Amino acid sequence: MSRSPLVSANVFAGMAALGAVGVVASYLAVPPERFWANWLVWFLFVLTIGVGCLFIVALGHLVAARWSIPIRRAPERVSGLVLLALPMGLIALLSLPVLYPWTRPEALLKPAIAGKAPWLNVPFFSIRVLICFALWLFAYNLFTRGSVRQDQTKDPAFSVRARGFAPAFMIIFAFSITLVAFDWISSLEPEWYSDIFGVYLFAGTFLSGLASSALAVLYLKDRGRLPDVRNDHLYSLGGFMFAFTVFWSYIGFAQYMLMWYGNMPEEIFWYKQRIEGPWLNVILLLAAIHFFVPFFALVPKDRKNDPRNLRWVAMLMLTAHFLDLYWLVLPVVGASPPLSWPELSFALCFVGLAVLWVRRSMAMGADMPIGDPLLHEGLEFRA
Amino acid sequence: MTDRVFAVVGLFSSAQALMDAIPKVRARKLGTVEAYTPYPIHGIEDALGLRRSPLGGMVMVAGVLGAATALFFQWWMSAVDYPIVVGGKALFSWQAFVPIMFELTVLFATFTAGLGMLLLLNRLPFFSHPVLASKAIAGITRDKFALAIEADGGALDVDAASAALRAAGAADLEVLPVAVAQPPALNELSRSVMGIAISCLVAGYVMYWLIKLFPVLPPMVHMQEQPRLDVYKASELFKDGHGMQLPVAGTVARGYLPYLIESPEQAAALVNPLPRTSEVLQKGRTVWNNRCGVCHGALGNGVPTLTAAYGAKPANLQAQTFREYPDGKIYHVIMVGKNAMPSYAADLTDDERWAVVHYLRVLQRAQNAKDEDLK
Amino acid sequence: MASEAVSLPAALRAPVLVEGPVTLGGLDDQVLQYPARKPPLAWYIAFAITASILTLGVSLIGYTFYMGIGVWGNNRPVFWAFDIINFVFWVGIGHAGTLISAILFLFRARWRNAIARFAEAMTIFAVMCAGLFPLIHVGRPWLAFWLFPYPNQRALWTNFRSPLLWDVFAVSTYFSVSLMFWYLGLVPDLASLRDRTTSKVRRFLYTVLSLGWRGSATHWQHYEKAYLLLAGLATGLVLSVHSVVSFDFAVSLVPGWHMTIFPPYFVTGAIFAGFAMVVIVLVVVRETMDLKNLITTYHLDVMNKVILAMACLMGYAYVMEGFTAWYSMDEYLHHIFIQYISGTYGWSGWLTISCNVLIPQLLWFRWFRQRYLGMIFVSIAVTVGMWFERFVIIVVSLHQDYLPSSWHIYKPTLVDFGILLGSFGLFFTLVLLFARVLPVIATTEVKTILPGAQPAHGGGHHD
Repeated sequence: MSRSPLVSANVFAGMAALGAVGVVASYLAVPPERFWANWLVWFLFVLTIGVGCLFIVALGHLVAARWSIPIRRAPERVSGLVLLALPMGLIALLSLPVLYPWTRPEALLKPAIAGKAPWLNVPFFSIRVLICFALWLFAYNLFTRGSVRQDQTKDPAFSVRARGFAPAFMIIFAFSITLVAFDWISSLEPEWYSDIFGVYLFAGTFLSGLASSALAVLYLKDRGRLPDVRNDHLYSLGGFMFAFTVFWSYIGFAQYMLMWYGNMPEEIFWYKQRIEGPWLNVILLLAAIHFFVPFFALVPKDRKNDPRNLRWVAMLMLTAHFLDLYWLVLPVVGASPPLSWPELSFALCFVGLAVLWVRRSMAMGADMPIGDPLLHEGLEFRA
Repeated sequence: MTDRVFAVVGLFSSAQALMDAIPKVRARKLGTVEAYTPYPIHGIEDALGLRRSPLGGMVMVAGVLGAATALFFQWWMSAVDYPIVVGGKALFSWQAFVPIMFELTVLFATFTAGLGMLLLLNRLPFFSHPVLASKAIAGITRDKFALAIEADGGALDVDAASAALRAAGAADLEVLPVAVAQPPALNELSRSVMGIAISCLVAGYVMYWLIKLFPVLPPMVHMQEQPRLDVYKASELFKDGHGMQLPVAGTVARGYLPYLIESPEQAAALVNPLPRTSEVLQKGRTVWNNRCGVCHGALGNGVPTLTAAYGAKPANLQAQTFREYPDGKIYHVIMVGKNAMPSYAADLTDDERWAVVHYLRVLQRAQNAKDEDLK
Repeated sequence: MASEAVSLPAALRAPVLVEGPVTLGGLDDQVLQYPARKPPLAWYIAFAITASILTLGVSLIGYTFYMGIGVWGNNRPVFWAFDIINFVFWVGIGHAGTLISAILFLFRARWRNAIARFAEAMTIFAVMCAGLFPLIHVGRPWLAFWLFPYPNQRALWTNFRSPLLWDVFAVSTYFSVSLMFWYLGLVPDLASLRDRTTSKVRRFLYTVLSLGWRGSATHWQHYEKAYLLLAGLATGLVLSVHSVVSFDFAVSLVPGWHMTIFPPYFVTGAIFAGFAMVVIVLVVVRETMDLKNLITTYHLDVMNKVILAMACLMGYAYVMEGFTAWYSMDEYLHHIFIQYISGTYGWSGWLTISCNVLIPQLLWFRWFRQRYLGMIFVSIAVTVGMWFERFVIIVVSLHQDYLPSSWHIYKPTLVDFGILLGSFGLFFTLVLLFARVLPVIATTEVKTILPGAQPAHGGGHHD
């Protein structure tokens, strides 16, 4: 039984087209820093959702979880966003001279930045970006395409191979997500450093992967395409979303509190930029929608498996993850959070594109990994 | 028949058998149906129609209360009652308060969950429930699953209940008489709380006296007994046991300068280093009035205020001899004394000595003034 | 079902958690026999050894109280040494128990049921050992109660901005919560003991301790809810307690300490060290108490996989620390990191990396995961490595920080070593007593995973 989609794909296509016009206009109209900062944020948003979904799939293989098998196709499909992130990332490389001080010779006069030149230089940076993409695409091919192929072949060898590759992927993921955090985000202000930053981005990445997977699962359930997925499975998803909301908040607070306590000039300037003046409103909003609201919305047990509750909490989480990236990146552009037609254009364009991309991936393979030999165990799972 | 019956209990040998029996027994509506199992059975709450546990809400409230309590007392203690700036941080340093807020949230929530579940919801500890005295209990905690039809207020139709249980597949049946004691009522609880409070008070009193005793026991008292030199006390640090010792030979006072000149003739070569300024002369006058005038007179003429009783005859410094003394010789007399006059070296600083020499010269000139001096 | 199991590759088959035909009653007989009977000679010998070591430790602590902290090796600038290393070490070891009993409960990992009880007991004992050190390392331990904010005549309050005070709250909360969680889990098992025992004294004791538990379904419902809530709360503690301990270091400005990764790094290290200790103890337990069918090779295998995963995370943390130290362009941080691997204590840095990252890589191989020799070797290496990691962090960073005129070498004294040994004596004495007196496996929880334990509803067993 399938009904016509709640929101037609044409709406998103229209959004994307309109947004694209605005994006091009802002390339011509607004200062390049603002344009490229927006591009960077949207690139990171799409990338982290894609890689986060890959992580979810790999984690399920790594720990031989049964409950996640029936809903595994959702993150497998959404992980296709890594393919959308690839051109966005290659274009983002054009932002290096605009956004990153270490590309400019005058910045190299500062010893704190000059010393990092062996790491922070355009060729090495680009190579790192390309290697990460190569590894992610390899993992995407192995996990997602392999799983879709298994629908037809029903060969358990894929499951064994996926389980074998999962630990290696975890190592790849740990270092690649750390590189994204250190290279794309923290090197915007190269004097600053924080070794938990990779873990911080991981937390947001995992959460946005969970949220987007939950939305995909609920989308399919609404259309009756996942009749065997019960509240027990949703409960586990909701539980993870709850737990990692707490985890993100813990990591975010730990970094902030340690830098507040030490109050060292070379660290605290980064926070001063982001919590003083107009940016204070942003961080308060972020704390509210990334911690307080999802925490209290998910704490009662029966709220964790209620589809309607999960849907709006998941959408809020994605918004919060975006706001997190916005808050991390945009302060280098201005003392005041920019919010006007350029930002809205970017939002229309990339939300539209991403939704269209994910919708298209909904046609990939069956709605459940029907070739997986342990699927029936996953369907029998009781919370 | 004579004893009031609490329940009829039937034993089953598997969880499946128990679950199959429950709807059959409940349908007979013979009384409250309760199950007793060695471990929790999934789905049994719905099968028995049990109300949902309110523990979640209780724990949430307790957790929020814990967070609020921690925030409040840290704020009050750090920003209101004992406001000290530590590490340059603001008095209401909420960032530093968060860890303890979190811990207290967990602590309050945990104790509410644990004790709330035991004391409030399950009314445990309770040792007089009829099931505990039954033969069935040994099986219940081991490997048997029991279904009980309990009398809810009125009398229980034992035969009908037994028949229902047997029909549902129960192996052993047992009739349980009513309990002697009731679950701890609220006033019993409050009596235990009172008892605890009294014990705390007694313990506190005992602790108070122990705490008074404790600091004078070693090693606590070691801080008071220190191997150091105390004022006016005997001391083991020195062989003679005295805390107060003479200074070592050769010790000099601060500001001491050695005076090596032996004869007035040598002293004659000394030159007055001080200028003849008004301050110096004032200082000299002060010194003269305090030290010298008592014997040599206010005008330096040997007419003193004191020595009539004293018997000595101080020199008249207005005499020709002394007017011809060079400054150095006068200084020498101050330093070593002359005849009955003792040394005044210890009483005067070097500046004061030379200043009084200048003043003496002023006195001498004043008493032997020439006409030209008035111009 | 059976034919599918045959056709599945071995790597995908579901693990067998309970080997052999075990009935509900048989399980009770197997596990609950121990509190009822006299222990074998080996237990007495072991107890004599651990109790003597404990006595040595206690005497040395008494000696320290009497003579003062000068009998330890602490000096300027190494003000923190064995005392804090041991504290962090023991608190860390406690975390494995909470992870197994709480976090794995939330993940519905059924393999935790057989080992949760012992792991939780080890948590409580480890936290007791840990709590010892902050108490004895202050100059006047009889005034340790000053750490608590109570209304006093000194007209002052404790310093809430200090992580040392956060530690007081965190460790005491952790101890109370672990104790509550462990005790609640014991109540149904104590009821089983009550109904089995023939001794009147023991029956009275078990009756009181089991609070009159009768297994009523109404009670189970509230009990399950409380257990779930406690598991969730204890999970929060696993993260927070060792993070607060890491704050002791990370909020300071000592080079090498002020690194933001410390909180999750310490938590990972804690789980790592704790699992190693659990593996060592469980190997001894399953052999001496003949529990191999309940604590199976699968249990050991999966715990070793957790140790391997943690070792990889520790490797990530070391790489991040090293990279960030270089990236920071801070000369003091550079110097300290060079001291970590060269200089007077360079050997300890290499020992740490070898024991914590390199040796556990052996666990990729099944032989090491499933053979006693392999896993005991790795677990001992991990325990040693984690102790030395704290040594490296504390002693090496302190002995050469900002001002070269203050630099000074640290040498531990025999009293330091004796007290460390004594803490192991305390831990293992408590473990032996626990194994003697209480059921080492939560029979109630294992009963729920025996085949046929739960009724079928709507198609299948509970996963």
